[in-house]
Amino acid sequence: MSSKGSLRRYIITRLFLVIPMVFILLTLVFLLMRVAPGNPILAALGGHLSHTQLLERERAAGYDKPLIVQYGEYLKQVLTGHLGTTLTDHRPVTQVIAQNGAATLELTVAAMFVALIVGVPLGMLAGRMRDTWVDTGARVFGIVIYAAPVFFLGLLAQLLFGHILNWLPTSSESGVLVQATLTPHTNILLIDAMIDGQWGDIPDLLAHLVLPAATLGLVISGVVLRLVRVNVIQTMKGDYIEAARARGLKERSVVVRHAFRNALVPIVTVTGLQAALLLSGAVLTEETFNWPGIGSELIYYLGARDYIAVQGIIIVFALAVVAISLLIDLLNAWIDPRVRY
Amino acid sequence: MATTVLPGEFESGIASGAVAGDRRARGLRRAIAPLMTVRGLPRWLFWTGAAITLLFVVLAIFAPEIAPYGYNQYLAHGIRFPQQAPPSAAHWLGTTVVSEDVYSRVIFGARTSIEVVVLALMFSVVIGVPLGLVSGYFGGWLDRVLVLINDSIFAFPYLLLAIVIAFLLSSSVGGGVLTAAIAITVVYIPQYFRVVRNTVLSVREEPYVEAGRALGARPRTVMRRYVFANVVHSVPVVASLNAADAILTLAALSFLGIGMDPSVAAEWGYDISRGVADAQAGFWWTGLFPGLAVILLVTGLTLVGEGINDTFNPLLRRPNHRRFAMPKDAREATTAAVEMERPVVRVRDLRVWYATDRGPVRAVDGVSFEIRERETLGLVGESGSGKSTLGRGLIGLLPVGAIRDGSVDFEGRDLVKATQQEMRHLRGPSIGLVFQEPMTRLDPLMRISDHFAEVLHTHEPDISDAEIRRRSLEALGGVRIPPTRFRNYPYEFSGGMRQRIMIALALVLKPRFVIADEPTTALDVLVEAQILSIIADLKNNFDTSLLLITHNLGIVAESCDRVAVMYAGRIVEQGAVSDIFSRPEHPYTQELMRSTISLSTRKLHYIPGAPPDLVDPPPGCRFHPRCPQAMEVCRAKEPVGVEIRPSHLAECWLHGPQDEIPPDGRRPLEREEIGIADEA
Repeated sequence: MSSKGSLRRYIITRLFLVIPMVFILLTLVFLLMRVAPGNPILAALGGHLSHTQLLERERAAGYDKPLIVQYGEYLKQVLTGHLGTTLTDHRPVTQVIAQNGAATLELTVAAMFVALIVGVPLGMLAGRMRDTWVDTGARVFGIVIYAAPVFFLGLLAQLLFGHILNWLPTSSESGVLVQATLTPHTNILLIDAMIDGQWGDIPDLLAHLVLPAATLGLVISGVVLRLVRVNVIQTMKGDYIEAARARGLKERSVVVRHAFRNALVPIVTVTGLQAALLLSGAVLTEETFNWPGIGSELIYYLGARDYIAVQGIIIVFALAVVAISLLIDLLNAWIDPRVRY
Repeated sequence: MATTVLPGEFESGIASGAVAGDRRARGLRRAIAPLMTVRGLPRWLFWTGAAITLLFVVLAIFAPEIAPYGYNQYLAHGIRFPQQAPPSAAHWLGTTVVSEDVYSRVIFGARTSIEVVVLALMFSVVIGVPLGLVSGYFGGWLDRVLVLINDSIFAFPYLLLAIVIAFLLSSSVGGGVLTAAIAITVVYIPQYFRVVRNTVLSVREEPYVEAGRALGARPRTVMRRYVFANVVHSVPVVASLNAADAILTLAALSFLGIGMDPSVAAEWGYDISRGVADAQAGFWWTGLFPGLAVILLVTGLTLVGEGINDTFNPLLRRPNHRRFAMPKDAREATTAAVEMERPVVRVRDLRVWYATDRGPVRAVDGVSFEIRERETLGLVGESGSGKSTLGRGLIGLLPVGAIRDGSVDFEGRDLVKATQQEMRHLRGPSIGLVFQEPMTRLDPLMRISDHFAEVLHTHEPDISDAEIRRRSLEALGGVRIPPTRFRNYPYEFSGGMRQRIMIALALVLKPRFVIADEPTTALDVLVEAQILSIIADLKNNFDTSLLLITHNLGIVAESCDRVAVMYAGRIVEQGAVSDIFSRPEHPYTQELMRSTISLSTRKLHYIPGAPPDLVDPPPGCRFHPRCPQAMEVCRAKEPVGVEIRPSHLAECWLHGPQDEIPPDGRRPLEREEIGIADEA
């Protein structure tokens, strides 16, 4: 009955549960991309190539075969990691994902960090000071900040910090010079700079990161705040909270050690569900700040009607969601011993 | 998140399909009534939200009448509007790069948003609700497949899905309101599916549905009525929150230039996207106003949704306490107590009143008693007599809005006047509290060892880890928990074991005084005996004084030295256990004794009537409406404590004092009056 063994067993069972979800998402992507009129070749290259050339390309890509056969081949390709080559600019899709995905990862992690730094303390404060003006103020902040479209917040941030105050860069992931001197290892520029010891580049990279990450993070913080508040209120009603007070524990440790830790389980779960919100917000943030992530690539390739690229990027987003939900469940199992059973 | 509401509230609404006009009006009023008393969110916020939403709906409906120009109009009377002009008298919010009037575009943008949202909500309700009903009702493989598909879509980044669908649709049928609405619909279907399915599932297991079945109602009829009633309540919450989300999604789609064709209608997101370009050149007004419009409308809808949710979701509902002060005259009365030599605890005229919606509840209303070293005082009474409140009131562990009065002397200190800080230091090392429900009293995320370490560290900051371990294991050994279980989690123990752990957790600090609030009520009889013997040991080994709160007279007879009988917030009789059990003097105590079941019980006895409402207790003696021996004086005057025998006290006019009873006060109360009080 060792708890270590049970955690390992839980991880394995949970991994198996991921399989049907991945399968459904892959099927969904396939259906979406195939219900479009015509086929990817026609959509992307129609008008650029002659009729016979188009037919040839279509046959080579297998679009003349029955749908079910195409589906089988599609699954095989995806599962072996072959996402194809973009139709319009002949980049391997895996390369698009590796290069631009790294920028998205950097943005979302930084944004989540901002969201937690702002949302958790405010939510705890509001929950503890329920029904005071502090609580009302925090709630209104949460609601209004969530009501703001992320691209509009971005616009305001650009206006204020970029143009009026002229403090921070409002576009792209790094300055031109830095971009030219960095050698890609992980494609996450901050880490690349650290690997090569180019410490002088880091201020520039951070300056570029601040506005996009703060904008996206603030929007998410509204959700985090609400979650933390409701769950702290719920757990503060718990019997074990009264019991802890009856043992003369300090109010601070009652709130932090007992109430907040117990509130953490639902908070982590629902924050995990916000992965969809985070990734959706990332697409918009990238568009607003010219951040070279896969979100802005997706919009670019959609405009170019390059369905192979679009398909690959969507698959990655789907896998990212599955991976995050898996991570969340494991995190919960680690926090709450009862989950492992 | 399913809101469960007592089915009775809906009876009239569901009863028939053809509802008469006035009944409908009444139904509407009844539906709105809870909103008038919105509690979670400050009421003004809810109404602000409703006003904002209404404003935008009006703007949407009357856009052509309100807006000075058309959404894509760039000239009037043959003269072209200025390009990118700042706000002025002619163009209140300025003009765009193609000379359109920003103010008019913002107003027409409201129309587009509301149109898309209404369509999207209609579609997703029409598709999502039936799917959820079918899935939840039939269950089985159909349910499992639908849930899996639904969860997968739900987990997918909603905006990407909307983007792809809007893109595909607009490349086949063209962009516009319908295209955008369909793209958004797909995103929201899973939410309705989920809410409705969960409602059906929870309703299926609801006690009242089970009860309905047991009463012979056909399951389908029962389900149909209650599911409908519950769905009717949860869908509006989801809908208003979804409407807020849908507006953001629409704006995002238009921002990216997908789904809405900008030549067909004005759209805020599209205007913001052009505003980003303008902002680089310093033209701030083209993006600012559409953006503010989005924030305002989404905030308004969210406030409405949260308001409805706070009102109907019982978990978020909170009591609307009115603050109160204890009236001076209530504090003047003094109560008698059996005087003891060198008591550990000396309680005088203790009052604990709670704030409620209806006014203060006099849960404990003037009690006095004392407990000596190594003595166990049993506190008995019906549920709601105030005995648990009394126990918590002693150590000040009361909910917000409760007020205490009187005095509790403990080790030369008055606990009623003690500060929070002083009380915190006393709780644990000096006064221990053992609760009724052991299952939920331990923090589920902490090992037993951590519970002990935490409490020892708090009160003895310099204690070593080895000492913590030694003392904890000693305390656990005292309640017969083996050391091998020290590092287990609470969920790995049974109820009886958890209660023993709770006791050990109180004893590890060796308090002089322990309050045990129904420590065995939630446990079975064998475990009960075990716990009682542990409590008895405690008194012998540690010289602990004990207040044992229980409704079980058997436990009192077995474990207590003295007993206090509580009724409606007062101690009506107190004395030595042997004395009171052999010669109970208060009619309530006598009735209580007769209600006890024993081997010699031939016929069950119960006390007619119910305990009184403590917001407005009966005048005089609180037991008089139920008392078989009630007299005229009992209704008129509060009884006084009388020492019937040494150390045996009762508050009852039957025992005098004679000189305080008015001349005809001894006349028995009329029987029918008892009957009326009984009804009440």
